[in-house]
Amino acid sequence: MSVISLITGASIPVQLVMALLLLSSMFSWYYIFLKVFTLRRAAQQTAEFERQFWSGADLNELYQRAVNARESAGTLERIFEAGFREFTKHRRQPGADVGALMDSTRRAMRATYQREMDKLESSLSFLASVGSVSPYVGLLGTVWGIMNSFRGLANVGQATLSHVAPGIAEALIATAIGLFAAIPAVVAYNRFAGDVTQLAIRFESFTEEFSNILQRQLH
Amino acid sequence: MTAAVFQSRDEALAGGLALAMHVLFLVLLVFGVSWQHKPVETAAVVDLWRDLPPVAAPKAEVAPPAPIKPEPPPSQPKVEAKPPPKPEPAPVAKPDIALKDKREKELKLKSQLEEKKRAEEKVREAAREAEADKKKRAEADALKKKQAAEAEAKRIAGEQAKAEQALAAQQAAASAKVVDEYKRRIIEKVKRFIVLPPNVSDNAQVEFDVVVLPGGEVLSAKLKKSSNSIAAYDSAIERAILKAQPLPLPPDPALMRQFRELNLVFRPKE
Repeated sequence: MSVISLITGASIPVQLVMALLLLSSMFSWYYIFLKVFTLRRAAQQTAEFERQFWSGADLNELYQRAVNARESAGTLERIFEAGFREFTKHRRQPGADVGALMDSTRRAMRATYQREMDKLESSLSFLASVGSVSPYVGLLGTVWGIMNSFRGLANVGQATLSHVAPGIAEALIATAIGLFAAIPAVVAYNRFAGDVTQLAIRFESFTEEFSNILQRQLH
Repeated sequence: MTAAVFQSRDEALAGGLALAMHVLFLVLLVFGVSWQHKPVETAAVVDLWRDLPPVAAPKAEVAPPAPIKPEPPPSQPKVEAKPPPKPEPAPVAKPDIALKDKREKELKLKSQLEEKKRAEEKVREAAREAEADKKKRAEADALKKKQAAEAEAKRIAGEQAKAEQALAAQQAAASAKVVDEYKRRIIEKVKRFIVLPPNVSDNAQVEFDVVVLPGGEVLSAKLKKSSNSIAAYDSAIERAILKAQPLPLPPDPALMRQFRELNLVFRPKE
């Protein structure tokens, strides 16, 4: 009695449940690895840009660099670029109000920030739903399998444990696969949600500090 | 490197890693989990007991088959001799029904059918007669053969009986040795598991009636003669007998009868 024989010996609905769970497990692991890479790179790029920014580089120079390397720019660099562009554009107009100028700069940065956050948070909801739903799906397969094995038991005159045990083992495999899909997804979701929040705090505080710097330039 | 390149490289890497993850888990699950594989012992025990009696029985049954086989042929012709009268009333009944019907076509058809049936019956009767002849001859042959076979069977049985007696004498001597050997082994094995309580006198003797199953399992161990001194000693030996399962038994199932009920005697100083 091996795991393979348990899976191939299961009834069709249980096998369908197993296939569904395996598919969702594949996708959740794919997104887990993808998120690990993207979040790690985002953190690296943020740290790199913060270092450049706070080392006292010229804002115009930073802006030029950000525009030139737009394709490979990190999130923080994009926010900076959007804010600075709006700021310079607005300042060229004669008779600009300082409050309105700062407001539009903030709005530009806010918009970029939200777009970038949306990218970072993408597919986290998938992980969350795999983590919460797949145990139930596995349980459904198990309940179905156990129902079947008990129904088969009714046809046997003298019931022994060896009549029921294989059917129950077959059914329990579905729960095992469901948990196998769910546990990494839940752990990864919590971890990634924490990482994204951390990044968001960094972006927001940078936005505030940068608008302070720009406002100081006006006077 | 642009973000798009990063993205596509990440996606490929993530897909590969996810696949590797699942392959790894599958391999762990298939080869890492050792599934318990315990055969049902009770079923095997029952089979062994059923096999026991035939070991001795077939020798006696070798001779009888010869006289039994020739008997069936005479009984068969008796059964087949009865049918002939039965078919005749049937054709008589049908013409009556045919006459009542007024349609000529049916009459013609029926008369044709009747002719066919009569022809068939003639053929059948001829065949039956031929068969009867054959059977008579076969019976005569069978009788002769039976007599010859019986004579031979008697001769063979006589020879076998002599050979069996000689064999039985040899086997009895051999099995007596084996039985003694295995009784000694059983007692030795049980002794290994005895935990002696303190203050047991050296000449305290305990006798147990043990019923053993063919697998070496102890079905029951009854105290036949207590040591009369210390109850703890009796129970210590009983525990040892149960712990010593499976008891060593000879591989030959024929000897099992002598081990079905064992009388074991224990003394602390032995």
